[in-house]
Amino acid sequence: MAARRTRGMTGGSDLSRATVARATAIAELLRYECSILLELYRKKESFTADVTVTESRLVSVPPPSSQLETRDKLWCLHSALLQCRSFLERAITKEEEQLGGGKKGDYETQRKMVKERLSLLLINTGELLKTAGGVMILTPSSEGLELDGPTILFELKLWVYRIFEEVDYWTKTAITTLQALPSVIAKERARTTRVRSTRSARR
Amino acid sequence: MPRLSVSPSSKPNCSPVWLISVLLGLLAIHTNAKDVLTVPQQVILSANMYTQHLTISWLGGAATTFDLMILRTELNETVFYETVSVTMNQVSGRHQWNWTSVEPLECTSLSIKIRSRDGQTTSEWSNTQILQGSDLPSNEKFQMYPQDRIVPVGANTTFCCIVEEGLLFGTIRYGNTVMNTTRLSRRSFATTVVNQELSGETGTNVVCFDNLRTKLTGAVVFVGYPPLPTDFVCETRDLTSAVCQWKEQRDTNLYRKRGTRYSLNKRNCTLSSPEEKQKECSVAQWEGNFTLVAVNPLGQYSLTDSAEINHRVHPVAPDNLTFVVHAWNATVLWQWEYKSYSSLALDCQVELASQGYKTRGVPDAPDVWMWMNKDYTGQVIWKPLTQRQSHGLITGYEVTLWSPEVNFQHTELFSPDTYAVPVNLTQIATRSSDNKVMATVIAKNAAGVSQPASVLIPLRLTDVEPFTVSRAVYTDRGFPLFWQRNPNDTCAYVVEWYEASCKWDCPVEWIKLAAGNTNVTIKSANLQPGVRYNISLYSSSSEAPELLQHWQGYMQELVPSSSVLLSTTQHDSDIVLTWREIPLVNRRGFLLGYNIYISGGSQLTLLANLSDLESRSYTVKGLSQGLYNFTVKAYTSAGEDKGTTASITLEPYTDWLILEILASLGIIALLLAVVTFICYKKRKWVKKAFYPDIPEPKLSGDWSRSQGPLNVKPSPHSLVHMVEKPEWDSSKEVLVVIPEEDEFEGDEPVDTDEPTSLRYYNQVVDERPIRPRFPDSSDSSASSLDSACTDVTYTGIQTSGSSLVFQLDPQGSSEGQQPQADLSVCGGGGGGYRPQMQSRAPSDDIGLASPEPFLEPQAASAGGYKPQSSWHFDSPVDAGESGGLALSLGSPTSVASTQFLLPDGEERAEEQRQPSSSAATWFTNLLSSTKP
Repeated sequence: MAARRTRGMTGGSDLSRATVARATAIAELLRYECSILLELYRKKESFTADVTVTESRLVSVPPPSSQLETRDKLWCLHSALLQCRSFLERAITKEEEQLGGGKKGDYETQRKMVKERLSLLLINTGELLKTAGGVMILTPSSEGLELDGPTILFELKLWVYRIFEEVDYWTKTAITTLQALPSVIAKERARTTRVRSTRSARR
Repeated sequence: MPRLSVSPSSKPNCSPVWLISVLLGLLAIHTNAKDVLTVPQQVILSANMYTQHLTISWLGGAATTFDLMILRTELNETVFYETVSVTMNQVSGRHQWNWTSVEPLECTSLSIKIRSRDGQTTSEWSNTQILQGSDLPSNEKFQMYPQDRIVPVGANTTFCCIVEEGLLFGTIRYGNTVMNTTRLSRRSFATTVVNQELSGETGTNVVCFDNLRTKLTGAVVFVGYPPLPTDFVCETRDLTSAVCQWKEQRDTNLYRKRGTRYSLNKRNCTLSSPEEKQKECSVAQWEGNFTLVAVNPLGQYSLTDSAEINHRVHPVAPDNLTFVVHAWNATVLWQWEYKSYSSLALDCQVELASQGYKTRGVPDAPDVWMWMNKDYTGQVIWKPLTQRQSHGLITGYEVTLWSPEVNFQHTELFSPDTYAVPVNLTQIATRSSDNKVMATVIAKNAAGVSQPASVLIPLRLTDVEPFTVSRAVYTDRGFPLFWQRNPNDTCAYVVEWYEASCKWDCPVEWIKLAAGNTNVTIKSANLQPGVRYNISLYSSSSEAPELLQHWQGYMQELVPSSSVLLSTTQHDSDIVLTWREIPLVNRRGFLLGYNIYISGGSQLTLLANLSDLESRSYTVKGLSQGLYNFTVKAYTSAGEDKGTTASITLEPYTDWLILEILASLGIIALLLAVVTFICYKKRKWVKKAFYPDIPEPKLSGDWSRSQGPLNVKPSPHSLVHMVEKPEWDSSKEVLVVIPEEDEFEGDEPVDTDEPTSLRYYNQVVDERPIRPRFPDSSDSSASSLDSACTDVTYTGIQTSGSSLVFQLDPQGSSEGQQPQADLSVCGGGGGGYRPQMQSRAPSDDIGLASPEPFLEPQAASAGGYKPQSSWHFDSPVDAGESGGLALSLGSPTSVASTQFLLPDGEERAEEQRQPSSSAATWFTNLLSSTKP
């Protein structure tokens, strides 16, 4: 039983490390795809470099802090990416409704790719969160998000642009967070092991 | 205000009361007018922000003309100020005027005021009504108008940007273009985009930045087209409902909510694939008349279609196809999807496939024709059998050539993809007296062989074109051909056509027609524009095909693909252009003629249009020397070819030069002849004028009887007159003898007894040193000077000794020798006359030129003889040159002769020494010989 548990523990550690690595790779791929999507959108809408969206973040999560535990960090990241996906899905729908054209081109393909890659990243961050013992609750809920978007078309375009930039931002954040995870996991595991050893010795 | 000016000088007696009354009257009229023109009241503004329409209504009383003024409130700039005619709405009692603003009405506040007008009279302005813009200070936001506008291609749209309170305006960009702007108010700036082009699918962004580019706002504009559906047609498949189809001729560039909405008979259509060009919409019941209305934000378009349902049946495929196959027949069974098909008259087509079953039909006979070259070679050709004609897979063809007369038969098998076989009938033609050979083609499939299809090949080919070639004119449906039908003919016809430029084994197409046809329209997918086709009509009977009629035509005439070969030559002063015919293949149309141009710079000037195709040369006349470029262009009904240009430099005509030289020479010769003739005719005058006879010396006393020494005394009355001419030239001074008879001719009788009166003239004569023909004058003069006893008359004195030669009278010369004999008689006298021969010195020129002989007679003479030394020599040059000759001037001669006494031999010697004098001598002789 102990051996099995040990094996299970070992397997769990391995799974976490592999998942982190995979999630990081997906995030990096997503960041690349996001940059292409932003480029295509700027080109499509003739947005030059001076067209900037500098308003506050659309995604609302607790401010990141180095004091947070891994589970909380993962929770924040996962929550932010979940919101990003909600925004992205809404943006795609609104854009199709209001500004959809006759033909589907590179932009539409890239947009779909980013959305799917983001979903894939979410699966991986979800797994990591589960491994870390976190709770997969979206805060705030989907209903709380301002997903309607503007009605004026130019503002809608800026809103879509903001969402793409938001995805880009949180993808970069995800990469940073995930890259920092293996050492944290190792430390925590070491600490957990020490605690258990102490307890065993006491018994 | 009406004004009345009163001049002090006018009507001083006018009553001031009258003036005041007029003034008051006018004032009253003016006041009355003001009473009638009520000031507009209750001005109400109603704005449609999307359409930018502003509706202004007011109570204006009875007035029908109003002045409307619209200003931008903040800057007090006039936007609109016009006099308009507005009638009162009888129901509401209000006047109403609509105005459309160029700028969106949100851009800035507008002030509107109205006044009534009657001619030049106006009311006061109404109270100003303000339509508030979005640039009020209370509305601090960064804004742009109009938003989400949809405009047609080519439209002009004005956008305005209201800068956020506290920011400064930067730029407005339309797409990627920075626009020029105008200020409408403190915060509002406008720009107008003209002749807008299609926007992107998501519209074109109009972005407004602040000056620091920290903030922006914008608008989207969609530029597209109104709908334009075409090819609207409705059909039925189930004989109940209608399925209507149409196409969109162009992309409107407007999609989704801005895309085109269609309605069919006022029922909305839901398109299954809105992005497809081919649209389809159904209605449950066939209504006979269908109206399609296409609407988008830029306009609408409607199409109609009407038809009976039976005329628009689009059959569906049979369902549940089953077969009942027997050994020799099969039964095909099927069902219709719609029951209504049972009452529909349908033609059913059953195709037999050979999958697992053997077809039983033999092929149809192929359609056979032939092509013959001019040397008994040719081709037997046939058309490929269609699938229906084949009745299965064709396995091959069997071709037989057969001539019954020479008992010749040759059969060959060919593969199924063979449709032409070459034939060589040379041998048969030499052996057979018959005119034809029969070619038979049989198609084979698995089921058997087809009926033989035959064609008779003529053996006696003629090169003669028996018929005139008509032109076939292509129409939309092909080449329509017509011919006369011979009532006796019962034969069928074959019409063949091929490219006229082809000469050998040509790919020919044909169509066979039954007897009795008199027209056909030739159609083929192979007909090419710009290609001339020969079209021939043959009779098809038991004999060899006989050519009945011949046409040529083009499916479409084009301009010639090549130009003529042009050459230029100069003929005399003309330029002859000659060119060759364009090859048939390159003509690409029936040539109608040639245009000849002369090109000056880049411009072509038409010289001539030659519609006669046979004349392929043209002469350009009347050109001056220089370089010329000529262009010749052939033209068809489609136009001219590119033309060929040839240059030529027109050279001066060399024959003319030769002619001119010859003519000049001829004229000179003629002139010479005329001069000669005149001289001949007037030789007497000429002689008198230029070569007068020297008068014979007159001797006083009887010389003949006395043989002794003569006591010559100069005549006391010998006179020598020196006559000077004003034009005398010292370099050519001569003294010319004026003959006595000339001097006194006709005036006075010549008194030969009187001492001769001599006049000496200075006259220009030939300078040539002509030597004396007769005995040298110097000799004679020297000799005569020696003689003191001779009575000498001076008959001629010249400064040049040569002048003395002009002793022209031969008679005189012969006579002149007589005195010489006489004179010799008195040679013994001490101071008397000495014969010239005796006093001859060894040197002709110098020896006798000694001055002494002159002195002797001077001393000896009693004074009647005037010595020559006393003469004045005007020309020392001549004197110097001639040396002793000069001294002989004035040499006395014998009275019996004007010639000097020199022997002939001397004369000849002199002539030889002076050849240049021969011409003058000849001329002198000529004149002398002609003396009568």
